[in-house]
Amino acid sequence: MLKLMKYEFRKTMFSKMILLVITAILELLFLAGIFLNWDNGLAWGIIGLTLCAIVGIFYIGLESLMVFHRDLNTKQSYMLFLTPYDSYQILGAKVLENGLSLLLSGCFFAALAAIDFSVTVVYLGGFKELVSVVSQLLKQISVEIHFTTAESLIEVFAVLSVWLMTIVTGFLAIVLCATVLAGKRFSGFVSFLIFLLIFWGSSFLTNRIPNGLGTTMYYLVNILAALALTAVMYLISG
Amino acid sequence: MPEMEYNASIPIYIQVMTSIKRDIVTGKIQPGEKLPSVRDLAIRYSINPNTVSRVYRELELEDVCFTRRGMGTFVTEDAGRVTRMREDMAQELIRDFLAGMRQLGIPDDEIKRLVEEYGKQEGG
Amino acid sequence: MLECKEITKVYGRKAAVDHVSLKLEPGHIYAMLGPNGSGKTTLMKMAVGLVKPNSGGFWYQEAPVGKESRREIAYMSTEPYFYNWMTAGDVGRYYDDFFEDFSMEHYQSLLKRMELTPDMKTKTLSSGMMAKLKIAVTMARKAKVYLLDEPLNGIDLLARDVIVQTVIEQCGSDVVLVISSHLVDELERVVDSAIFMKEGYLALMGDVEELRVQQGKSMVDLYREIYGHGGEEGC
Repeated sequence: MLKLMKYEFRKTMFSKMILLVITAILELLFLAGIFLNWDNGLAWGIIGLTLCAIVGIFYIGLESLMVFHRDLNTKQSYMLFLTPYDSYQILGAKVLENGLSLLLSGCFFAALAAIDFSVTVVYLGGFKELVSVVSQLLKQISVEIHFTTAESLIEVFAVLSVWLMTIVTGFLAIVLCATVLAGKRFSGFVSFLIFLLIFWGSSFLTNRIPNGLGTTMYYLVNILAALALTAVMYLISG
Repeated sequence: MPEMEYNASIPIYIQVMTSIKRDIVTGKIQPGEKLPSVRDLAIRYSINPNTVSRVYRELELEDVCFTRRGMGTFVTEDAGRVTRMREDMAQELIRDFLAGMRQLGIPDDEIKRLVEEYGKQEGG
Repeated sequence: MLECKEITKVYGRKAAVDHVSLKLEPGHIYAMLGPNGSGKTTLMKMAVGLVKPNSGGFWYQEAPVGKESRREIAYMSTEPYFYNWMTAGDVGRYYDDFFEDFSMEHYQSLLKRMELTPDMKTKTLSSGMMAKLKIAVTMARKAKVYLLDEPLNGIDLLARDVIVQTVIEQCGSDVVLVISSHLVDELERVVDSAIFMKEGYLALMGDVEELRVQQGKSMVDLYREIYGHGGEEGC
């Protein structure tokens, strides 16, 4: 299983590296903006980093869909399906790797944002106030940061979960496209319709899950439900 | 080991047997010498190992080879057997040759003359 | 050791494989013969579970084929299937990661024999080199069953000899080897049994030498008889 995940990661390593490089450049821009009082750099850095985080996470999910499509519909599928693993393990490895990538990059961007935020506050505040005031301010801020990070972590996790669920639903649509609908006309379009239908259906279902479970549990149930659905559909399409 | 030209109409094991016998007769393989293992011979001739097993089996039946348990297959040490094999092979070639010539309607005394002439030509 | 019973695969309305039953025994090299589209490839793919039959099935040592049997059955497809980013070395490491019976040492020596180097990119290999790489990585496994789909296709004569040698090296009394081809005379001396496929069904199966003795026919003769033309010009 770990070996399968290793190769799933390998397939998307290149674009993840690029994402990292772009982020690093933007981060430098941002830091330059702060330390050299270069307002334009600061502004572009903030905008760029925000976009990078959103687009990056979006793309990581999307790319795993593209890789999966290629893994099922080209000769490269033999690479996976000749290994002594069954289709659930292969699919599972893909979902796990993608979930992990999403989670890690989500945490990465969240941490980066927190650090950048702190740097901004400390640096811009540090020279203008007296030491005692600064320490007081810092105390206040750190409480505030603690509060917001706890809140925003759940928020980030929730967004990632919904995105992962979308990806899993996408997997299902691709499986259908490659098996049940194989060779039929408009198979791509039909599976996209099915994707929308299932996505709508599952969000309808998940809306009915009682909110008492807490946000995290709530989304965890969502993911499990989508995964279970995928497994069931895979069995049918086998 | 020689590169063999295969003839699709003759069973392969017979072709390989002939090839090995020829090597024994010409001294390329000495009496008492150990023959390659089934696998090695199969690889050398690019043929099926089962065919090689059959080759060794048939050669054993003809007393050309013998097997020492756990040691492998060896060429007979009997020099007389080798001489006889040489004669047999010569006989066989002559038989084929004569059959071909007679098919062309060439009488035996003319065949003899032709062979002698050809031999002189080649020698000179 | 490996057998299928009444196995059938239908694509659209056409049966690619039509109620085929056969049994492969260890210690034999089988030639699977027939023109393109006679069901050879589909049959092999079903033996490793790449294609699911509509009815019937494949059994390996009395158990239905699946992920467990793939540990011991090595399949080589006609088409290249390696990932684009891979070098010959990556291909070896991939097999090393997934197949316990893979020997990296043997793979290295086979690469050398095939005049390939580990740093060659699979993306840029010529078709002949790709064919050699596929054989090298497949035969570097110590599998119980080898299913080779058209290993001699599009390969020059010299490379053919190397490939045939490599294949014979791996056979033993406990191994099943199946080589599919439409080049009948290439296989005549290598195999001991022949499986003739025609339009999805099993036309004839038997011991080559026995057929030769009983019917006085070579594999090429039989091929001509079954398909109405010689092997080479068939495709």
